[in-house]
Amino acid sequence: MAVHSPSDGWIGTSLLRKEDARHLLGHGMFIADIRVPGLQEIAFVRSQMAHARVRQITVPADAAGGVFTLADLGPLNILEAGPELAAHRHSPYPALADERVRYVGQPIAACLKPTRAEAEDLADQVGLELEELPAIVDCVKAMNPGSPRVFDQWPDNAFISSTVKEGEPDTLAAAPIRLRRQLRMNRQATVSLECRGSLAYWDYRNDELVVYLSTQGGHVARRGLAQALGLPEHKLRVIAPDVGGGFGGKNRMMPEDIAVAAIAMKVGHPVRWIEDRREHLMASVHARDHFYDLTISAEADGTLLGVEGEVYIDAGAYSLWPTGSFMEASMASRNLTGPYRIRHLNLKTFTVATNKAPMGPYRGVARPGACFAIERLVDEVARELGREPFDLRRQNIVTAAEMPYQTAAGMRLDTGDYIAALDLARDMINLPAIRERQLRGESDGRAIGLGFAFYTEQSGHGQVEWVKRKSRVVPGYESANARMLPDGTVIIHVGTQNHGQGHETTLSQIAAHELTIDPSRISVRYGDTATTPFGFGTFASRTIVFAGGAVARASRTLGEKIQRIGAHLLQADVANTRLEAGAVHGPSGSVSFAEIAQAANIRQEHLPTGLDPLLDVTATYEPKETGGVFSYGTHAVVVAVEPDTGSVEILDYAVSEDCGTMINPMIVDGQVQGGIAQGIGTALYEEIPYDEMGQPLATTFGDYMVPCAPEIPTVRMGHLVTPALATEYGVKGLGEGGAIAPPAAIANAVADAFRHIGASFNETPLTPRRVSEAIDRARRAKRAVA
Amino acid sequence: MKAAPFEYVRAKTVAEASVLLGRKGVTTAAIAGGQSLVPMLGLRVALIDLLVDISRLEDLKVVTRTPDSVWLGALTTHAAIEDGLTPDAFGGLMRRIASQISYRAVRNRGTIGGSVALADPAADWPCCLIALDASVRIVGRNGVRVERVADFIQGQYETTLATGDIIMGFDIPAPAGRLRWGFAKVTRKSGAFAHSMAIATMRGKDGPAAVVLGAAGPHPRRLEATTGMLGLGESSEEQLRPAIAADLESHFADQDAYQKRMHTATILRAVREMRTQ
Amino acid sequence: MTAVTIELNGVKISDDVEPRQTLADFVRDRCGLTATHLGCEHGACGACTVVLDGEATRSCLSLAVMCDGRSVLTLEGLRTDPVMDVLRRHFHESHALQCGFCTPGMLMMARDILQRLPCPEDMTVRHELSGQICRCTGYANIVKAIVAAGQELGGRNLVDRAPADPADAAAFDSEGM
Repeated sequence: MAVHSPSDGWIGTSLLRKEDARHLLGHGMFIADIRVPGLQEIAFVRSQMAHARVRQITVPADAAGGVFTLADLGPLNILEAGPELAAHRHSPYPALADERVRYVGQPIAACLKPTRAEAEDLADQVGLELEELPAIVDCVKAMNPGSPRVFDQWPDNAFISSTVKEGEPDTLAAAPIRLRRQLRMNRQATVSLECRGSLAYWDYRNDELVVYLSTQGGHVARRGLAQALGLPEHKLRVIAPDVGGGFGGKNRMMPEDIAVAAIAMKVGHPVRWIEDRREHLMASVHARDHFYDLTISAEADGTLLGVEGEVYIDAGAYSLWPTGSFMEASMASRNLTGPYRIRHLNLKTFTVATNKAPMGPYRGVARPGACFAIERLVDEVARELGREPFDLRRQNIVTAAEMPYQTAAGMRLDTGDYIAALDLARDMINLPAIRERQLRGESDGRAIGLGFAFYTEQSGHGQVEWVKRKSRVVPGYESANARMLPDGTVIIHVGTQNHGQGHETTLSQIAAHELTIDPSRISVRYGDTATTPFGFGTFASRTIVFAGGAVARASRTLGEKIQRIGAHLLQADVANTRLEAGAVHGPSGSVSFAEIAQAANIRQEHLPTGLDPLLDVTATYEPKETGGVFSYGTHAVVVAVEPDTGSVEILDYAVSEDCGTMINPMIVDGQVQGGIAQGIGTALYEEIPYDEMGQPLATTFGDYMVPCAPEIPTVRMGHLVTPALATEYGVKGLGEGGAIAPPAAIANAVADAFRHIGASFNETPLTPRRVSEAIDRARRAKRAVA
Repeated sequence: MKAAPFEYVRAKTVAEASVLLGRKGVTTAAIAGGQSLVPMLGLRVALIDLLVDISRLEDLKVVTRTPDSVWLGALTTHAAIEDGLTPDAFGGLMRRIASQISYRAVRNRGTIGGSVALADPAADWPCCLIALDASVRIVGRNGVRVERVADFIQGQYETTLATGDIIMGFDIPAPAGRLRWGFAKVTRKSGAFAHSMAIATMRGKDGPAAVVLGAAGPHPRRLEATTGMLGLGESSEEQLRPAIAADLESHFADQDAYQKRMHTATILRAVREMRTQ
Repeated sequence: MTAVTIELNGVKISDDVEPRQTLADFVRDRCGLTATHLGCEHGACGACTVVLDGEATRSCLSLAVMCDGRSVLTLEGLRTDPVMDVLRRHFHESHALQCGFCTPGMLMMARDILQRLPCPEDMTVRHELSGQICRCTGYANIVKAIVAAGQELGGRNLVDRAPADPADAAAFDSEGM
């Protein structure tokens, strides 16, 4: 049997990344880099109105064959998107608009020309007659009876409403402390640096449609495209090239992708669409956009009791296949207990359709909003009681002794020492020193604030969790194929989709650990439905748990066969052999994997009788417990705020985090730092405001602020390691945690800076205007009282 | 985001450029650094028939220093000023301003002439040149004219440039003696357009002062009341505030309470810096 | 169409281009050099950074026609460049890239920084990286890599932009006249 202990060999090694070489040389192959003879480019004609009837589309006479409307795409099927719940309403989302457009940017027609510039010229000539309808832009007002509808046939504008009631929330009315607050996390985009894109052509030799797609999951995309196009799946190949970031924005079926594929089938030559930045900000996946009206109840001694209220999700105009966006409301409500012993919940959730681009997942998915809400409320309770917010957290947080702890919302917090994480962050940020500094005051007149936020990150959740969410696609396992070639080197194919997370490296570390060979002799491949076993892609912080487990299993099974062959070649008993340093060792000597692989592939006469040739194993994997394993940590932030301008500077950012066993600590740190950068973006910078006509007001980077190096500090990190019990090596997924807590921690820090005047900061991003106005309001209120 | 088609010609002389730009019935634009124009063309918010390339006109690259003034040709790049490659009679004020315009790669190409010709309300050079009481020389169909930059810029993206006019460059009076200055800018992130910009200057210890506020309205404005207070000697910030408020009321009345707070803070920061010099 | 001759990575390329074609599209589509990436096409992200006549330039903000007679360097042309070599090694060792899309622009800008500023410190590098967007790394390791590369190069890599001597600039100063 292969010997493996958690702390030796390749597990826990900060191996430098294999994927670096091509990018450092400029030889990455992204969707816009692919050269295909005969390729033509597509530009979309998009709606300039948020809500309108499409009266007429006029194609210029000399553009014959170059402009496609919905009718020109051939018969297409509308995908049913959303959870498999009768109550979830169907929002038919055609690849190109039919008689209605429902958000600014919705694609109406596709123009095809040899170059993108010419395609845009043609798009400018397409005439559009749109009859404007009232735009529904406020997701709370949209739920008023009598509000105009996004979908005429719906009784109200909710995709779905739900209630989460746990414990005995009726007892909360008697609680001594009851604070009601409204909190808002505003709409933003995902902003991968590489926009979306797809390239499609019919491969006559293989008699299949080939679609290159900048995607986080090609197998699931194939399923969606096949259903939409009415193509059998064996005639559709999806290939992901290098993908320049996804963060959730490349993990849903989008109308342009269906249109491009349909056009390719019509014209018989390759076609491509590359999304530009304006399209991305207008019409790609939108995210966050939560509104909370919550009341938190507590005892006078600070024991947190329960949360009641309403959660509104502004979900945009359509559900995106396969999941729709109900998970925003359900994950938000289920995370409103935070990591605390809050036992009572009474929440009404509304996933509301509006005339905005459809909402999709974005790093953290709903939890940044929920974390923002609960962590702000905890600070508010602390302020009400005159307590240190840190201490209130410590008092209420679930302890290691209580693990596994079933939250009121049904999440099973598996392993961890949350108190240790709190304390580590407190010590790193040096809470007492900050409190002293605040008493001294600053010579430049700025106010110093300290904020904490604790997050849990459900990761590696499988069947149980996805079935609970009524998913029509249940990503309950992953697959890996491990193959040893005649010279003893290994190729592993996985069903996940590396797009910056270093899987070529970390998964090879796992295989190297199991097989006792060097990672440099292992190639990890992914991203092609023709060559990889079925898998679900990379999202929900699942890859290291699922693909890592599948690679481990496949490698182990491969190793077992290698050992059998080796024992046979050594004429020894298998029980007296072991794998070590790429060879099978027995009492009388050793035989290399190369010799064994040669036997298995091209010299089968050397194999033991009854043993089939080849060293090729496909394995699936799911964790022992499929409710998820929870990474967690504490973010601690010190800010300096200029009260008049409202500008916020982050002076220090410290994080304690625990993601169980770390396969590659360097990559873990990179994910945390990167997640926090996006969290800071949500907290302070990124927003797409809409006017009352449903026009998005930030459609280029001139208005949409993406933080750069001067805005993002280097985060100081402390790690705890509490292995998971349900996964291989005790790993937990961690890719999203960094993005979950920053809005809460930063808002708490700004609020802390102005604690003495009771200013509240309950809306992200905390733009300078919002901060300054909140301070001004609080100062006036204080003066009025005095 | 590809531009709509247009014709292109590279002017060989300023006179030729002026004629090309002045052609009737043809929508023309002059391009120098292109850092503002090219994105506008790509977004198709600027639609032109003919692009006239003036980026290689040597006459627009002249830079000279006389005892009384500095002449900066219109094609002087922000980077050249940032790097100290141009004469500095202003105690480093222009170097500092240049170093904070956009990003280095943009500064390598963007020009002072382009910035002033566009007259974006949030642009840095208009504010600076007004504070330094600079003049702009313009060549056009009607010959050469010289105007104070403060008069040249009339509103948001509005100048006295007529069709066929080309900015030759800027004549900036060199202060006799040391120039003390302060510069403050508020941006949402590094390199982004300013939401508030203030420049405070004073010749020597208590010589003539100037306070200019930009990015607050259609174009930058001298703040007379604040300037007057500065000239009266060491007024405290509390004493300056009413003057600032009066100036904001006179010139930037449509700014809301937050904006007025922000501008006040910016102006005070600039004054504070000037006083440390 | 307008005839242009552009020296691209040391090779003179002559072609007819549409005036509207950006230098970025010329390099990528006409010349097949796709290391230079498009992240925004309005000069706000830096993914398209090249070197034009020795100066860092956003190729999406430059028109190919205006580069007639000029020289352009892309990442592909710096394969054996000694400064880029050091930078690549430090980027690799510092885990300064994840998805890789911003990396060419970052490397081009990093090289420019190290040619102008000897041994730059953390805050200087951050300021110089304004407007270079990375969505994956959170910048920390990129800054670390550039600082380390600068230390290793020790200012040997500076490129002169006359006048380098402040005394020369001072000749223009009011004091000197």
